[in-house]
Amino acid sequence: MPYSSLRKTRVVDLTHHIAGPYATRLLAEVGADVIKVEPPWGEGARKAGPHLPSHSNGANGDRGGRFAFLNTNKHGVTLNLKHPRGVELLMRMLEGADLLIENFAPGTLDRLGIESAELLKRFPKLSVVSISNFGADGPDRDARLNDLVLYARGGWTYPVGERDREPLTPPGSLVQYLGGLFGAIAAMQAMLARDLTLGHGQHVDVALLEAAALTMIYEPVGFQYSGVVRERAGKRFAVGPFMIVTLKCRDGYAGLQCVTDKQFESLCDLMGRGELATDARFNTALQRYVNNDALLAIVEEFFLQHDRKWLHREGQARAIPLVGIPNVAELLEWEQLTSRNYFETINDPVLGRIRIPGAPLRMGSHRPEPSRPAPLLGEHNRDILCGRLGVSDRELQDLQAARTV
Amino acid sequence: MKTIVEGKLRAIDLSMGWAGPLLGELLAEMGAEVIKIEDTLHFDWWRGSLSMGPPEMQVIERSAPFNTANRGKIGATLDLTNPRAIEIVKRLIATADIVIENYSPDVMPKLGLGWETLAPLNPRLVMISMPSFGAEGPERNARGYGNTIEAVAGVTGLVGYHDGGQPYTLSNALGDPSAGLNGLFAVLVGLREREETGRGQHIELAQVEGVVPFVGEAIIECQLTGRVPKPRGNRHPAHAPHGIYGAGSGYVALAAESDDQWRQLAHALGLDALAGDPRFATEADRKRNEDALDAEISAAVKDLGAEETSRKLIDVGLIAGQVNSAADILGDAQLSGRGFFVPVERAVVGTHLYPGVAEHFSETPLVPDRPAPLLGEHNRKVFGEILGMSDAEIEALERDKIIGTLPRQLASKAA
Repeated sequence: MPYSSLRKTRVVDLTHHIAGPYATRLLAEVGADVIKVEPPWGEGARKAGPHLPSHSNGANGDRGGRFAFLNTNKHGVTLNLKHPRGVELLMRMLEGADLLIENFAPGTLDRLGIESAELLKRFPKLSVVSISNFGADGPDRDARLNDLVLYARGGWTYPVGERDREPLTPPGSLVQYLGGLFGAIAAMQAMLARDLTLGHGQHVDVALLEAAALTMIYEPVGFQYSGVVRERAGKRFAVGPFMIVTLKCRDGYAGLQCVTDKQFESLCDLMGRGELATDARFNTALQRYVNNDALLAIVEEFFLQHDRKWLHREGQARAIPLVGIPNVAELLEWEQLTSRNYFETINDPVLGRIRIPGAPLRMGSHRPEPSRPAPLLGEHNRDILCGRLGVSDRELQDLQAARTV
Repeated sequence: MKTIVEGKLRAIDLSMGWAGPLLGELLAEMGAEVIKIEDTLHFDWWRGSLSMGPPEMQVIERSAPFNTANRGKIGATLDLTNPRAIEIVKRLIATADIVIENYSPDVMPKLGLGWETLAPLNPRLVMISMPSFGAEGPERNARGYGNTIEAVAGVTGLVGYHDGGQPYTLSNALGDPSAGLNGLFAVLVGLREREETGRGQHIELAQVEGVVPFVGEAIIECQLTGRVPKPRGNRHPAHAPHGIYGAGSGYVALAAESDDQWRQLAHALGLDALAGDPRFATEADRKRNEDALDAEISAAVKDLGAEETSRKLIDVGLIAGQVNSAADILGDAQLSGRGFFVPVERAVVGTHLYPGVAEHFSETPLVPDRPAPLLGEHNRKVFGEILGMSDAEIEALERDKIIGTLPRQLASKAA
């Protein structure tokens, strides 16, 4: 649910798919005025799933779930930037804008004749944020990439999975979302630099591969300190002076993250095995590291005898970071989130009533307001082009006939 | 070149672990003055445990994660269970723009540092609280770290091999870095709001609520289809091959996302016969015969090097990459080519390469190459220069163990 905080912030959004749209979604959620500019045939994510069962043959009627989720609270305009008139209208949109955000392949804007250096000269207030797979330069700048390879090169994949099997990739597009979050941060930072130190805007180059490497826990540093590389440790996050582990219990799986001495004592109490806290095999962090296998065997056996809910409740009652692992259907019903009205029901014009995750932050200064669904293709052409840029009805018709809009 | 804020903002960082400290570190990279407060008894737990080695090892100054997540900060100590320390930290907060904390929701009010107390001291203050599950709700007091937060946010349940088995926690404690980044975004929004209204505010970031959007598509899929998405392992619902294969002593990740890419891939791997094999002709064929396809690819790459294989495939425009270990990533061609890892010299441990930045500003670069503070390293600067205390006052604080530069457990043994 959006907050009407950044009402004076104006964003022109040339993004598509996930990372760019997530960046502008975050900005729209805190009240920025976001105009999403798509080609007249729609950006690629409109064809992406998840789909309603009746839409699964690609005939998904304007959008699928990804687009519906990532583009709430934005205005939607179509412009063909391969037409000079399209670029001209984009330029008029950029007058008075604070931000242009894009995630085309590097070099695409230049080819369209929209070079960021020129834009920064022409619009001193404007900053341009570019999000790309590898960044604006470097030897692999133009290489193909997908989530699988992004995780693999970023260092996320190597330590996950069974020791005697291939490493296991993370799911979905987590790094693309993180990259979008970096993009939103970069946008706010560029405005802060403008207002506090520079007096004008600048260009920011955000790279997804670097976003992955930066959010990898800091093991490349640890490796240099110790010469040790973390290898796959099956159900364990790692073999270390802690017990971070995903364990089978009677009705599913639970996650335990026992790190401090105090948490270990509480875990012993939970298991009814208070004597283990003083057992010479386990009574220091170093001993718990050395005897990690023996400790795991004890904890494993205990978890197998209990349900997720019981473990979660009784563990938390003892201040142990211990949780039952939900699937996404259970997540939607989790009382902690539902009591906080975290999920918002939107009435999407194509997908109907769906519940979507809310804003990550809660501002003391504003009350959240209901979201506007993602725009239909070209839904706000008249509002923006005629209402704001002064295009006449007649001109709009001509632009539509020429497929510029 | 200038930094984003040129020292014009001051943050007081009361947080521990990764999430809150990362937020403080990212502010320091922007050129903000970030004062990290630790207690000499309960110092930042990411420094590790004293019981990991003898005192002369200075174990707590050798933590790679701590030394990375606290770069560029000014380090001071204060025993926040002491009322005198609370008065001192309030004086600091009165001069600050930002306060960062990631305790359970009741801790700050109990310390006498709740928002209601701090707001009157400094109407321009932007305070961010980062409880694991939120400041309200039936589980408001629940304890969470990166991995358990990632789990309750729905991520862990989606991590598993395609042929079944158990879920796995991610390798990076995702809940932590996502909270640090969401927290930074929130603080920047608070600062911008302040520019317009002149007023600060208290922002709440429930760490779990910052992770759930990352699986938003799975949450919507479950509603649209009525089915709960299951782990897909290294496979893709539409494309094949799409997997991770042993190559020499390492692993290579590769994928073909069209029939053309598949034929190119087959040729590049010397599997020319397979390019015309009807079992693998179309995506649907390859998905149907994916076990056989994976076996062919595994056999073709198992004796090759991971980096050479991925390089060969990248060079002909295919989707591939080495599965980088913590050691491999330091040599990744693209990351090195952009100078991602930066050298930082830090007392006790010396000079190493640390991860740099993911955002490259044309005029105000981020500054990731200043070291993390030793415990209490900047006590004199913070209490003397910033708060104007006399040497005698500072010595009294040391004597009363309100501040210090050694873990109190060791200091009392020494005394």
